[in-house]
Amino acid sequence: MNEYAVLSIHGAVILFGVVLLTPLGESVSKILHSRYPSTMTKRGQLLAGMMFVCFGGFTVSAHTLWMHNKLSEGASVCSSDSILNCDGLIGNVAYNTDPFLGQPWGLIGMVAFTLLMWLVITVAKEPMSPQSLLFIKAGLGATVAGLPIIGLLVSYEIKEKLICPFCTTAHVANVIALVGFFLLFKLHESGEWAPDMKKSSRK
Amino acid sequence: MDEDGFGKIGENMKSLLIDQEASARSDAGIIVMSMFFAGILIVAFTTNPIASGTKIGERAPIFSGDAYDGASWSTFEFEDLLDSSWTWNSTEDAPWIAVEFLDTDCGYCKQSAPDVGEWAQMYSAEQWPGPDVIFIAVAVEFVADSSISEVEEFRAQYNNNFLYVDDLDNDIAGDWDVSATPTYFLVQPDGIVAWNSGQATNSLGWDAKEEQSTSLNGFDDGYVQLNEAIEQLTLLNGGE
Repeated sequence: MNEYAVLSIHGAVILFGVVLLTPLGESVSKILHSRYPSTMTKRGQLLAGMMFVCFGGFTVSAHTLWMHNKLSEGASVCSSDSILNCDGLIGNVAYNTDPFLGQPWGLIGMVAFTLLMWLVITVAKEPMSPQSLLFIKAGLGATVAGLPIIGLLVSYEIKEKLICPFCTTAHVANVIALVGFFLLFKLHESGEWAPDMKKSSRK
Repeated sequence: MDEDGFGKIGENMKSLLIDQEASARSDAGIIVMSMFFAGILIVAFTTNPIASGTKIGERAPIFSGDAYDGASWSTFEFEDLLDSSWTWNSTEDAPWIAVEFLDTDCGYCKQSAPDVGEWAQMYSAEQWPGPDVIFIAVAVEFVADSSISEVEEFRAQYNNNFLYVDDLDNDIAGDWDVSATPTYFLVQPDGIVAWNSGQATNSLGWDAKEEQSTSLNGFDDGYVQLNEAIEQLTLLNGGE
């Protein structure tokens, strides 16, 4: 299968999550209402959107790890004469592992998005927990911490004058997750986190 | 931070450990860990990664630099010599690569230079039954200050007819884990290190067909030289 066809599957998962994060999510989430009633609320839509974004980030990171391994075997997985070229970056031993642990960037991405997924699922399972705000702040902090790492990887792309579409998709997923955690934080702060409970407390 | 601040953090941490929402966190943990290990298993079962390095069986680090061919200096890309589609059974006659790290001030390098020059001609000659072997010398600066002109003179003095790559900043030597000269490597056409003179068990080589280390013993002095490694490894099972 063409690598860009596979990339578009990762992209579609992330894009669906993005739509759920936007005002469009209210109408789009209707397809999830019967199976997941929690998506009827704004909170549920944001959390569902975050799950899709993090899952898309996870799968695309896993795919870059797969490419890393394939390239080490001597295969060519995503090379071209254009600026869009994964092989030149994921296959470049000078840049394809993190400088501290020596682990492939794909594995780092998998771990990062697994952590974010854990935070999101935990909040989704117990939204009324006193710790939910702590988890949202932890997610916000983790995604902000990812920005300098993305900066480092983009600097490699600039140095090599190449763009790795798979890596870029993972970077974009991290930035969207940052926005998503920020929206969750705003919602929590606004008092709209649990509108039903607010109404009942007024009675 | 005041006492209240510490107290609040302590309370938070305590509640994280013992509160009723612990089941939500562990449920979420089970879900994401299952997802993570499923991803790792898929990658593990569909790939067979080869570590990058200069030990026998590893993928040799690629390098580039200025190379001297006896007349002029031009850009050299090690990657250009590799053929990623090469396999033991492929019919194409892809060349193997012998890489020598030398210092123009090193006595042993001077001593072996005539032999290496002779091997470079021998293993690319018509009479040689195996695949061609391309020789590359990487000139480093370990012993004393060297210069480009010294590298040119060294090459001419020993009548070496192969490329000399400038590594007087020892960058390539660092990537290839070379700390002494001369150090020799024999690299398969697909970029896998087949033999490394610096490896402690220098009687071993890499059998590309079996994808495993192979013994190169059977020499009187128990010490395998580059020419012996070339003859054994490229001609394994009758060569290509």
